[in-house]
Amino acid sequence: MLALNSVSRRYGDTVALDRLSVAVPADSYVSVLGASGSGKTTLLRIIAGFEEPDAGTVTLDDKRLDGVPPHRRDIGFVFQNFALFPHLSVGDNIAYGLLYREHAPVTDAAEIAQRVNDIIRLVGLEGLASRKVSAISGGQRQRVALARTLVTEPRIVLLDEPLGALDANLRERMCDELRDIRQRLKVTFLHVTGSETEALLMGDIVAVLSRGTIAQFAPAATLFAEPRSADVARHLNAYNILSGTMESGRFRSPAAAFPLPAPSSARDGTPVEVALRFDRINVRPASSGGDAALRARFITSEFTGSSVLSFFRMEDGQLVQVVSHLSGPMPETYAKGEVYSLAFDPAETVPFFERAA
Amino acid sequence: MESRVLKPVLAVYCAAFILFLYGPMIVLAILSFQGAGGGPQFPIIEWSTYWYRHLLGLTPPGRITQLPIGDSLVRSLTLAFMTTVVSTVLGVMTAQGFRTRFKGSGVVFYLVILGMIVPGVLVGLGMALFSNMAGIARAWWGTAFVLHVVYTFPFAFLVMLAIFNRFDRSVEEASLSLGVSPAQTFRRVTFPMIFPGVLSAMLFSFTLSYDEFSRTLFTSGRELTLPLTIYGTFSVEIYPNIFAFGVLTTLFSFTLLAIYAFLMLRAVRKGQAFKGQEAEA
Repeated sequence: MLALNSVSRRYGDTVALDRLSVAVPADSYVSVLGASGSGKTTLLRIIAGFEEPDAGTVTLDDKRLDGVPPHRRDIGFVFQNFALFPHLSVGDNIAYGLLYREHAPVTDAAEIAQRVNDIIRLVGLEGLASRKVSAISGGQRQRVALARTLVTEPRIVLLDEPLGALDANLRERMCDELRDIRQRLKVTFLHVTGSETEALLMGDIVAVLSRGTIAQFAPAATLFAEPRSADVARHLNAYNILSGTMESGRFRSPAAAFPLPAPSSARDGTPVEVALRFDRINVRPASSGGDAALRARFITSEFTGSSVLSFFRMEDGQLVQVVSHLSGPMPETYAKGEVYSLAFDPAETVPFFERAA
Repeated sequence: MESRVLKPVLAVYCAAFILFLYGPMIVLAILSFQGAGGGPQFPIIEWSTYWYRHLLGLTPPGRITQLPIGDSLVRSLTLAFMTTVVSTVLGVMTAQGFRTRFKGSGVVFYLVILGMIVPGVLVGLGMALFSNMAGIARAWWGTAFVLHVVYTFPFAFLVMLAIFNRFDRSVEEASLSLGVSPAQTFRRVTFPMIFPGVLSAMLFSFTLSYDEFSRTLFTSGRELTLPLTIYGTFSVEIYPNIFAFGVLTTLFSFTLLAIYAFLMLRAVRKGQAFKGQEAEA
């Protein structure tokens, strides 16, 4: 188990990590979701030993890692830009770690050939071993980077936005393959990404990194259904966050008022944020009232293939997004600038009281 | 409109540049084929390779003594080689040191660069005075060698600094993360990748040291280097044998350049992947 305990790291005045603690169980796929600049690369670099924390400890199976030089940590790192050795062939890139590592290098040429071959088959690079790394495609380079790390059998593999440099088609395929490879090798993957779909799809457990600390650490489904804070909900890119105050147990903002899913004892005037899923909103004519509905002006729609994303603006300026899936009946088109009533079931909203400032 | 004026002007400028660059060398090369009785100027009384044979001691002894350059040539080559090795090693190490910011790096940078900026004659003179005071004998392999290093090291350093500037550190980190020690990482990854730069640094150091004059003048002691010896012969009387030598030494320099170009081409071809990867990142 990899454990970070109250790890902090700052660069000048910017705080990258702020007393971050997390425990990554062995043999699991953990994805870390964070916006750019949230400190996710710093997190990986500290675990790998390329950087040291200002405070806090990193332990792996109860042994301290911080202070140990990176080449003695036995932690693999897959870089976003692959960082292959440009002067070596694909096969030599993969054999590199086995040949030259400080601890227990493999000297038997036959064994190296065997292990390189095995891993080449595992990641699907058959027939490319003698190619130069400049003569293969982006997806193949990604596999070389992965194979080069996996062949040395590290205790944990850190992946820094490993799919960021690939095009969408390839990204989906690599997602499946990564999960598959990990399950076969029984090694822990810690996968950092800025994409919520990638994080939810890949991770057995998803950690949301926000403001330099882990905002939530939970299985993907739990995370999506029950975000613990408005911050987490924002990262999932599936919730509208409405901010307002409490008024006799109901949510109230300058432009809307509706009941909360459970009666709350919060006092009147307590600031509250409410998360409302994009795909749980029904757009109705303005005339049809209702207890839980937002009045908002239609701005524009985006057609994304399988769904339509529509943007509305409420009177107080807050933006509301509505997703209509195209599996159902074709959604009607809305008139620009027209006011609509956005209805929803209050039981499906998620209120947050803390940090709702 | 602009190019109608600009282009001819640039063409003339370029032609003049080439003329002044190669003109002296061409004149020198032509005069080196002067006949036995001719002097170091036009007209050519007779085309021959007499002065080349004279240079190599293949002509019957006559009034004009053979150019005394054998020993000093060996000295200069040895000195240039020593300087190349030391300056390049220092240059690579210093540039490597500058990859991480450290306190006082600005001061150190200008201290190093000072070596190529300060006037050579002054440094040479200063070194001569200093060695006299300290009781150190002046020699081409001692006092002159130190000054050659001080002079060429900044060039090697600047070349390597430029190379490291666009070096992708993640490749080294990848090596470390595979359990390979920093020393091995340098040997297996860093060095092969910076090798074209190392070659350039070596070329700079060698050529600068090989024909260094002002710093060597006061510091080489009794045994002279090649540029000093050649200059010494001027003070007696000039014969075309010095031109013949000039041609030979130019050919030698071109050979060095050709070797450099060959090695460079090979290294660049090997490292092409690096560029591709950079462009994609």
